[in-house]
Amino acid sequence: MSKIKVSNLYKQYGDNHVLKGVDLEIQDNEVVVIIGPSGSGKSTLLRTLNRLEEPTSGSVVVHGEDIAKKDVNIDKVREQIGMVFQHFNLFNNLSVSDNIMLAPMELKNVSKEDASKLAKKLLKIVGLENKFDAPIQSLSGGQKQRVAIARALAMHPDIMLFDEPTSALDPEMVGDVLSVMKQLAKDGMTMVVVTHEMGFAKEVADRVLFVDKGKVLEEGTPDEIFNHPKDLRLQEFLSKVLDA
Amino acid sequence: MKRRNLTISAFITAICTLMIALGVFMAPSKANADTKTYQIGTDVTFPPFEFANNDNKYVGIDMDLLRAIAKNQDFKVNIKPLGFNGSVQATQSGQIDGMISGMNITPERKGTFDFSKPYYSSGVVMAVAPNSKIKSLNNLKGKTVAVKTGTAGADYANSIQKKYGFKVSTFDDSNNMYQDVMTGNSVACFEDNPVMMYAIKQGTKLKIVTKPANNGYYGFAVKKGQNKELLHKFNVGLDNLKKNGEYQKIVDKYLKANPNAGSSYADNHSFFGILKQNKSFLWNGFVQTLWLTIVSIFFATIFGMIFGLMGVLPSKFLQGVSTTVIYIFRGLPLMVLALFIYTGIPSLTGTKIPAFIAGVATLMFNEGAYIAAFVKGGIQSVDKGQMEAARSLGLPFGKSMRKIILPQGIKIIIPSFVNQFIITLKDTSILSVIGILELTQTGKIIIARNLEGFKVWTAIAIMYLLIITLLTWLSNWGKRRTKI
Ligand SMILES: Nc1ncnc2c1ncn2[C@@H]1O[C@H](COP(=O)(O)OP(=O)(O)OP(=O)(O)O)[C@@H](O)[C@H]1O
Ligand SMILES: [Mg+2]
Repeated sequence: MSKIKVSNLYKQYGDNHVLKGVDLEIQDNEVVVIIGPSGSGKSTLLRTLNRLEEPTSGSVVVHGEDIAKKDVNIDKVREQIGMVFQHFNLFNNLSVSDNIMLAPMELKNVSKEDASKLAKKLLKIVGLENKFDAPIQSLSGGQKQRVAIARALAMHPDIMLFDEPTSALDPEMVGDVLSVMKQLAKDGMTMVVVTHEMGFAKEVADRVLFVDKGKVLEEGTPDEIFNHPKDLRLQEFLSKVLDA
Repeated sequence: MKRRNLTISAFITAICTLMIALGVFMAPSKANADTKTYQIGTDVTFPPFEFANNDNKYVGIDMDLLRAIAKNQDFKVNIKPLGFNGSVQATQSGQIDGMISGMNITPERKGTFDFSKPYYSSGVVMAVAPNSKIKSLNNLKGKTVAVKTGTAGADYANSIQKKYGFKVSTFDDSNNMYQDVMTGNSVACFEDNPVMMYAIKQGTKLKIVTKPANNGYYGFAVKKGQNKELLHKFNVGLDNLKKNGEYQKIVDKYLKANPNAGSSYADNHSFFGILKQNKSFLWNGFVQTLWLTIVSIFFATIFGMIFGLMGVLPSKFLQGVSTTVIYIFRGLPLMVLALFIYTGIPSLTGTKIPAFIAGVATLMFNEGAYIAAFVKGGIQSVDKGQMEAARSLGLPFGKSMRKIILPQGIKIIIPSFVNQFIITLKDTSILSVIGILELTQTGKIIIARNLEGFKVWTAIAIMYLLIITLLTWLSNWGKRRTKI
């Protein structure tokens, strides 16, 4: 069964047409990686999946509900979709544990005790069990991103969206974050990942989408995309990123 | 949607609170049943016609005369120290019933006022510094002279300004005008003869060099077509006092006999002497300023929070309301706003607004607009990603605001708040234009009597600094308490 089905999606900012008719389907347990040049609309596409961006037209069906429609309770839909941002966006006024505990306590009436247990468990999964009480400001970038993943997981989402989760990290931190993501994929999480980490795409993705100028120009298995690219612009793009 | 209702209901609550406060403050000013009490505006820095004596009771020819007439005609008066211009506006807007303030009866004024029979005849004289070479109007060419706004002296100076080729510098009260001549900024001032004579007797270092000119008549004034009964009583009372000799007694008391009779004026010119003598008067001004500041800060904070938050809600309409409110009230000079609320609105609606309420409303709108601007700015300066992360977890807008955005925004805003509180305190001094007896107005009145500008303003300055210290200390304590 498809978890997300995007049809004929358009998005424009003023005269700037950013998405020009995107169709896309994501199945249960699938890991989809989106690649493409800068400014091609990858982030915009990802952010329409939980309506952080409102589509100009088209439909975005999540769990059978079209969230492009105004009358959906978007907050309820978002509870089931975790999102991880390039710049972490951890809540600066809260400690590590409070970042993780806030949403379950506010939205699911989880008791403080249970939320605290949950936070401990999640911090262990991302390898930061000793940072429970730490203030956000004391963490490194890699640590922050792993807390951000734990925060998203605390709502027990069944879809996770990642927007360039490692782009803002020092190279030596990238591995820690990627290994957490690999583990998530192995455990069967449905994931949509925008990234420039081609290694991750080759190793983990079930399917890779190449987006350019607001359209999905080619999609396929990592082998098809990286070893047998058909589209000219994809070939050009790959030669640039793989050389670098 | 829920959020919007919340904001609006908070706003309504604030307005209601203000209304209730208004009612409370208005209650005591209601006239009692048997003898009617009239609200009369005056200048109180215009000796010998009106000034505050050593006990800070309003005395002078006008004051004594008015009280004697009131007694004679069995009514009561409540003196409002609004200043001359303030009294004119307050009479016109119906805030007060009439004014007595050494006011010349002129054809122009008769267009908007009804006057009593003249109760005093006066002429304008020119006064200069004792060692001045200016001996007549002919010596004024190219020089600057000082006048007080709205007086016969000012009219006279303006009428001969072209002919004698001098410039006119305008002051709001007599003392500042004299001071300007004594310091040499202006070479002369034009003043009513009795006023000048009295001031010189009191120790003002000026001398009169011309004969009284442009003789005019002082009258008690009410708004044209209004308060006929009061005007009638005044006229009858005046006739009675003239007949029984009381009128002459009052005039002589201030102009003929020793004007210092009964006052310990001479022995109180040391700094501490002045403080001691005016202790309770200064204390009242201090309390009034403090009270004005605190009440105004309270309402300005509510006002500013409401319109600041409105500016960050996801509604183009409410954002527009917020922007407009901030634009208007930040753009209006405080004094214009105060006069508009105190005299402008009542002249439209016919309902009186007590000066204190008008003052608080003025500060609420003005300081509130500044608060709204930095509340809005502070919240907007919180990284956009914070809100996105909160919303992506499923937290609704309101919860995201309360739990994530506001705590960070308030932290940014706090220093601006403390700053705004101090500005509010200082801005209360502008409310002296609507006659509130706060510290600045208190200072003006004391100086009108003892002419000790430097010492009195020093005392007043110290008292302002004292309140600022108090406020700063209070806000630091508050910050520590809330651990922000
Ligand atoms: N809020 C916005 N308002 C106006 N234009 C926007 C907005 N967000 C994105 N855009 C524009 O949309 C286009 C696509 O942006 P988007 O962030 O989706 O690209 P991207 O593929 O994620 O690029 P990158 O790899 O640099 O992150 C760009 O031209 C960008 O300027
Ligand atoms: Mg992007």
